[in-house]
Amino acid sequence: MQAPFNLDQHPRRPRPLLSEPPAGYFDQLPTRVMARLPRAEAPVAPAWAWLLGLPAAWRTSMATALLLGSFAASFWLSGPAQPTAALASNSLDAVPQAELVDYLLSSGTRVENTDLAVLTAANPSLTSSFMQASESELSEVLDAQPSEEALYL
Amino acid sequence: MEDHEILLKFQDPASRNVAFNQLVRKYQSKVYWHVRKMVVDHDDADDLTQDVFVKVWKHLENFRQDAALFTWIYRIATNECLSFLSSKRRKFLLPLTDVGAELAAKIEADPAVAGDEIELKLQKAILRLPDKQRLVFNLRYYDEMPYEQMAEITGTSVGALKASYHHAVKKVEEYVTQSTNS
Repeated sequence: MQAPFNLDQHPRRPRPLLSEPPAGYFDQLPTRVMARLPRAEAPVAPAWAWLLGLPAAWRTSMATALLLGSFAASFWLSGPAQPTAALASNSLDAVPQAELVDYLLSSGTRVENTDLAVLTAANPSLTSSFMQASESELSEVLDAQPSEEALYL
Repeated sequence: MEDHEILLKFQDPASRNVAFNQLVRKYQSKVYWHVRKMVVDHDDADDLTQDVFVKVWKHLENFRQDAALFTWIYRIATNECLSFLSSKRRKFLLPLTDVGAELAAKIEADPAVAGDEIELKLQKAILRLPDKQRLVFNLRYYDEMPYEQMAEITGTSVGALKASYHHAVKKVEEYVTQSTNS
C-alpha cells in the first residue's frame, strides 16, 4: 500500500498537463476578437446620397441646370410684366377722347395749352385728333414759356 | 502598456481599437488558460476566451476602476466559465459527476498527459470537484493567487475561500490515494 498522496509534496506545475493551443493561436486571437466586436451603426444615408457617387463635373452641371431651370420657371410663372403706363393707356382707351379733353379743361386741374404742347412735342400724334392747333402755333406757345420749362422737352 | 494607459486610450474613440488590441495581447494568455483549466477542451476555451474579450469591450467604458483591470477581466472570465458549465449540465440533463467524467475523458485523451499516471489521476481528482470549488483550487494551486484577490473575483469572503480550498485539497488527496491503491 502506497503512502497517501500529499499535494504539497507533489511537484507543482504552473498549469495542468494540457496540450498547447495550435501554433500561432495567440498571434491570431486579437484579430479574431476584433472581428467579433460590435460595429457602430452606420448613419442612414439621405435620399440624395446617390448624387455623391456621381463625378464632380456631373454634379456641377446638374446644379447649374437646376438653377437656370428655377429661374426660367419663376419667370414663366410670373407672366409678362404689364407696364403701368400701358395698363393705364388701355384703361383710358375705353374713354372717348372728347370726354377726356373736356375733363382736363374743366376740372380743377390746371391744364393749359402749354401742357398740351409738351405732350405734342413728346408724341406728335397723341393730340392731333383733338387739338386744333398747328405745329407752328404749338412751337410759338412753347417758345413763350420760361426757359426752365424747356427742360421738360 | 500599463493598465491606466490602456484605459485612457480606450476612452478616446480615435485610439479605442488600438488600446483594446493592446489589452487583448496583454491578457489573452492568462484568460485562455484560466478558462482552459475549467473547460479542458481547447475549442470550448477558444470560444469562451473570445466571448470574454467581447464582453470586456462592451463594458470597459463603464469600468469604475474600483478593482485592478485584470481582476475585473478575470471576474468576467470566471462567470463565463461557470455559466458555460452550468448550461452544459442543463442542456444534457447530466448530474455533476457525469460532466466531470466527460472532462476527465478529455484529459485522458490529451496527449500531454500521456505516460504521467500521477498527473492524470490528479487532474481527474480536480475535475471531480464542484465547479466553484474547482475554480478556487485552480486559482490558489496553479495561479498562487492571494485570497484577497480571489475574494474580489469570486465575490466570496476570504474565510470561505480558505475553507473551500482546504476541503478541495483533502478531496483531491483522498481520490489520488484511493485510485493509486486500487
